[in-house]
Amino acid sequence: MKIEVTYPAVPKRRLRRRRLKSAAGWLLLFAAYICPIVNMVTGGKAWSVIVLISLYMVWMLLLSTDLVEYNRISQFTRLIFCACALLAAIDVFISSGWAIEVVPIVCFSGLTVAGILFFTDFEKQKQNMLPMLLLIFMAMGASVVGLCLWHEESRWALAVMGAFALALLVACAVTLGSEFKRELRRRFHTK
Amino acid sequence: MKKKIAVNPFEEYEKQCTDDELCRLEEFFAEFDMHCRLRSEEKKKLREDFERAVMYYAREGLSLEKALRRLDIKHLGGFYARPPVLWFALDDAAKVYPLSMQHVSMAVFRLAVYLKKEVVPPLLQMALNFTIKRFPTFATTLKKGFFWHYLDTTKRRFCTQEENDIPCQPIKVSGSGSQTFRVLYHKNRISVEFFHVLTDGTGGMTFLKTLTAEYLRLTGVDTPPDETLWDIDATPAAGEFENAFAMVPKGGSASGFVDKAAVQLSGRLSENRPCRIVHLKLDAAGLKAAASRRGATVTAYLLSLMFIAGKAATDELRGEASIQVPVNMRKFYPSQTVRNFAMYCGIRLPLEQLDSAEAIVGEIDAQLKRKASKQAMSEMLTATENMVNMLKYVPLAVKQPVAKLVYGFLGDKIFTNTLSNLGVVTMPEAFAEHIQSMDFVLGTAITNRVECALVTFGGTATFSITKMTADPSFEEKMYDLLCADGVRVRAEGSMLYEN
Repeated sequence: MKIEVTYPAVPKRRLRRRRLKSAAGWLLLFAAYICPIVNMVTGGKAWSVIVLISLYMVWMLLLSTDLVEYNRISQFTRLIFCACALLAAIDVFISSGWAIEVVPIVCFSGLTVAGILFFTDFEKQKQNMLPMLLLIFMAMGASVVGLCLWHEESRWALAVMGAFALALLVACAVTLGSEFKRELRRRFHTK
Repeated sequence: MKKKIAVNPFEEYEKQCTDDELCRLEEFFAEFDMHCRLRSEEKKKLREDFERAVMYYAREGLSLEKALRRLDIKHLGGFYARPPVLWFALDDAAKVYPLSMQHVSMAVFRLAVYLKKEVVPPLLQMALNFTIKRFPTFATTLKKGFFWHYLDTTKRRFCTQEENDIPCQPIKVSGSGSQTFRVLYHKNRISVEFFHVLTDGTGGMTFLKTLTAEYLRLTGVDTPPDETLWDIDATPAAGEFENAFAMVPKGGSASGFVDKAAVQLSGRLSENRPCRIVHLKLDAAGLKAAASRRGATVTAYLLSLMFIAGKAATDELRGEASIQVPVNMRKFYPSQTVRNFAMYCGIRLPLEQLDSAEAIVGEIDAQLKRKASKQAMSEMLTATENMVNMLKYVPLAVKQPVAKLVYGFLGDKIFTNTLSNLGVVTMPEAFAEHIQSMDFVLGTAITNRVECALVTFGGTATFSITKMTADPSFEEKMYDLLCADGVRVRAEGSMLYEN
């Protein structure tokens, strides 16, 4: 059977790029497999947990990026979630006692930057609100839970984070007006 | 060093125009400004499309008056003048596609039309600019909700591209306002690749026919309005974009998804998905005659050949082969919708029984009648709806990884192969004269080595094979079987995509 070729040739570069990405993925997987083993053999603190979270960050932010809604706000909020998880893990597994203050500060800074990214390109970014909304809701939730459970002096960071998240939510609602309600309706639909 | 000054070709063209022509152009673009309220960079691109088309017509010797009549601004309608407000929940069949998609695999299918002349890119772009407003669910971008994905209207210039990649590659739907379909051209072929969240084969074909008709109108082919074609200037009706699954009467038993694993064709799975496309261009009358000689429909006849070819392409000696056959629900529940409205059934036969096509065609016909019946499809639809209802309050962040895991585990293992038959496509005579044939290419599955699709236009039935293995056994056997039955076959396709 002779097949007449009616399709254009595909540049090799494209094919190679896909292969490279796949190779990088396997390399990360190998590192994720080997680190806990080395950690167990050498003993000491559980540093491999930090490595695993960091590898996951690299995987998520560079190799397995969002398939839907990959934009500056979604990537930045992803980075903030991962950074908070990493800081919390360092606190638990390596040296403890500081995360309760540092994580809310990082989260607060994250909210500030997300707000700037949102309001400086408002017309375009209003279509990309969900990740920021989720960050706002999580910050508010974490703030309420933290303030209820934590009774030390360092509660101020939690309070500032919660108050700022609420302020950002109000700012979004006021700026978007009726569109805010419509945005919530489509983002949280169950149809 | 001298600075290079970019020459605007349209300004150069305008220098050659008479005062009267300049006046006409000024009026024309003033009207364009009224119809286009896109962001400045999108508006600029859209205007340049008009300019390129005007210059093309000038090169072809068409008077400016005639050119501007063909490019009449009224064809833009209000689409580019109004802000986006509509959004569409995904239909029941579409919900699974964004949940299970990955960077390397996405449910994409392709429909193509082969014209008798080479495609003129500026006119194809203008045809798309005019056609898109008629398909509001296509002028959308995929978005993430908290519970489900949805389609959000996007107002932009939807672009055409020259074909330069492997067919049915994942579509980049992640950017703000990105397209969920792509319009490609190569020589005399116009192809549209759709992400399955948008539409099924029938809906996709409606779009391709409308786009092709508009393209041909712009090239100067004219025909009176025809009911088989959508009028691009008509107002879209709600029924054309409804989730038709919702109108099917509820109740009755639910069944359909789970089955035993089927035998897979042999051959190493390729890294590139697909690794080759093969089109067997068949003489439609000969194909119909061959099917009639066996007392079967074209679908049943081709299925019988596919079972035999499949047996020749596997090293397995025991087990069941199963071919998935999509079923158009519009034949049971008439609907104008261009969104997904199809279910599927699986035709199963033990390998030991696959001796000859003649021996199995009766059994295949009987299974098709039983399994693709209204009753069976309604049961599957009920099962789909039950599943959607069960999952509707589960956050997407939980559903997505689970769906990926389940899809990866179960995936397409219950099928060996697929045959999707779009049937006979017709176009008004004036347009049909300019069309050679059409083809329909399915995207790749996970483990199935081949996926097949058929569409008939004019005297040509195109049987397309999407390949996931370099092993040529399947298509060679199909070719031999068809030739042996006296069907005239011509093979076309892509080269083997290898790293």
